[in-house]
Amino acid sequence: MQANRPEDFSKNVSKALAQPDLKKIIRRTTDKAETKRAEAVANFPEFEKARAQGQKVKDHTIKYMDHYLAEFEKNALAQGTIVHWASTGEEASKIVLDICRQHKAKKVTRSKSMLGEEIGLTHAFDNSEMERIETDLAEHIIQLAGDPPSHIVWPAMHRSREDVVKLFREFHKDPTYSEEITDLVRSARRDLRNKFLTSDIGISGSNFLLADSGSSCTVTNEGNAELTITPPKVHIVTAGIEKLVPSMAHAVPLLRLLTRSATGAEITQYITFHNGPKRPNDADGPEECHIVLVDNGRTKMLAEGMEEMLRCIRCGACMNHCVVYKHIGGHAYGSVYPGPMGSVLTPHLNSLEVANKQTHACTLNGRCEDVCPVNIPLPKLLRSLRAQSWQKKYEPLTNRFVVQSFAMMAKRPRLFQLLSSCGVIFMKVFSRKGWIKYMPLTSGWTRNRDLIEPESTTFMQQYKKIKKAETTKSGGA
Amino acid sequence: MNKEQSDLSRGKIFSAIKEAKPTVTMDVKTIEQEALEILTESEFARPKLLSEDATEALVLRIEAGLVIGTSCERLSTLDNLPNSVKKFFSKHFLPPALKLQSVKQLEKLNWQGISTDIDIQQDNTVGLCWAEYGVAETGSFVVHSSADMPILLNFLPLYLIAVIPKSKILHYMDDYALIANEIAKKAETPRNMCLISGVSGTTDIEGVLVQGAHGPEILHIIIVEDQ
Repeated sequence: MQANRPEDFSKNVSKALAQPDLKKIIRRTTDKAETKRAEAVANFPEFEKARAQGQKVKDHTIKYMDHYLAEFEKNALAQGTIVHWASTGEEASKIVLDICRQHKAKKVTRSKSMLGEEIGLTHAFDNSEMERIETDLAEHIIQLAGDPPSHIVWPAMHRSREDVVKLFREFHKDPTYSEEITDLVRSARRDLRNKFLTSDIGISGSNFLLADSGSSCTVTNEGNAELTITPPKVHIVTAGIEKLVPSMAHAVPLLRLLTRSATGAEITQYITFHNGPKRPNDADGPEECHIVLVDNGRTKMLAEGMEEMLRCIRCGACMNHCVVYKHIGGHAYGSVYPGPMGSVLTPHLNSLEVANKQTHACTLNGRCEDVCPVNIPLPKLLRSLRAQSWQKKYEPLTNRFVVQSFAMMAKRPRLFQLLSSCGVIFMKVFSRKGWIKYMPLTSGWTRNRDLIEPESTTFMQQYKKIKKAETTKSGGA
Repeated sequence: MNKEQSDLSRGKIFSAIKEAKPTVTMDVKTIEQEALEILTESEFARPKLLSEDATEALVLRIEAGLVIGTSCERLSTLDNLPNSVKKFFSKHFLPPALKLQSVKQLEKLNWQGISTDIDIQQDNTVGLCWAEYGVAETGSFVVHSSADMPILLNFLPLYLIAVIPKSKILHYMDDYALIANEIAKKAETPRNMCLISGVSGTTDIEGVLVQGAHGPEILHIIIVEDQ
């Protein structure tokens, strides 16, 4: 499946809505995540306090970002880690590939990292002489399918069991002929085991960077990060500069929030702190450790008053609770980061001009903000991006015309009421059995669903009627 | 690798932050004080344990099925460990072969009837490790990489037994963070510090939980009274 482009958002959405099973497949996972998160929060009465503390940790680190970056660099160097800096995703990818080439790597294992996708690392490897092996099960599935990820926690959620059966039969050396999910997971285990042990370079992301020790922290349920990192001679970490926290003690409250918000579990099975290369007598571990610290639009967010977005710990709760995401899935956004957080991030990682439509794909119902473990005011940030988009005239002319016309009418109540009553009559003409299947100027709505027939009178007409009845009644009394 | 380019990007990143936050203080003491103040909230922002006693809380958590794929037992003396391991083999219909971590505490025990080695490359094996700490809050055991602790011992075997000395069971993750800080002060930070809370699992296919994705499918925790 070819990756969609953010600028084709409307087209991508139509494509997604035309897939009959997609909504069902997405909801199977997101609805379960929603229920499990609610249970986890109910079982943790201190959740709100934890959330406030988590927000403070992130805000404090962002406030003193240059101090903590310098601390992290100093301590990582002291651990023996080689520190690299990249302003853009392209630079970051190049640094990683250069390290691999310097070590004459043939096989490279990678544990799931959305930053890796963001900086185009997967494509960079696919266009190189090296073999890229994704070790997270979901990433393994989408690598075999040639798909981009559709969710930041479950990147393969758009693939059904039947799809996985076909893919594993085609690509695994010793595939299973069972369609049981347990057997499919075993098939992947067999296929990946030797690849873990024979890889030349292990690449990971980082959930947290600890400034006071120069450590990177990985969080997984599969344990694939440790298996990716430990056997090869070289470990490369790619991490966004916003992953910083002052210390392990500051990462703890965020760890409490992360898994509960992501999957509804209280904690992930594996939390590992990586502190540079192996020590002289260590039984195993990489001999060389690199970390690539990536900006790629993050300092721009700081400058443009979007720093609240830098709190994001990539739990995916906002997309699990988003009515739009649940309808269209992740691919429609045309970005590594879908859903509400993606609609705020993509305009900064790419540009608002190409990703402004995503900022409108939001009902502003506020559910994303309600469930965000670090209180990111996503609706406020989306509204601010909409305002910027309007000011920069990125909206199509028809949209601008409609909004300006509405603004003009809304300021003239008599004209507004007159046109509303005409609108009701006009809509009635196209109505059949309570539903409108087609009507001029509404194809954006009616292409994928029917429009409900309006009441026979406008809101104001009904209001006046009720008011009049009340006056008569009270007068009579 | 182009060091010049990396240095240039470093400069750009730091100037961009400075430009975005020109009024922020860089007084280290103030920053440290603010960071410490945030941690004072931890006491009120963490979950209640199932018992005030850390060992009891850890056991109750595992017994309540809150730690995926994990069982536990308590031993009054380490000498009984080989017998417990034998029972584990019988329960899971496994041949008596053990990938045993090479530490004094374990090597001195009588392993008669069980073949032991540390070749962990194959699948389908049983590993036994000596944990540095336990954490009641999360039902975790903690291992540190070292000369006698291959990290892969905790990730390659299909079955894993972890021994935790009772005195090393902590109440909260925060308590472990304090210990890690002390280790760092002595410049003795190990390459890896792993908090392991259950078995390797995945929900990546249709949201169904499967244990033993890449690493252990079954985890057995044995808490031993200190000698």
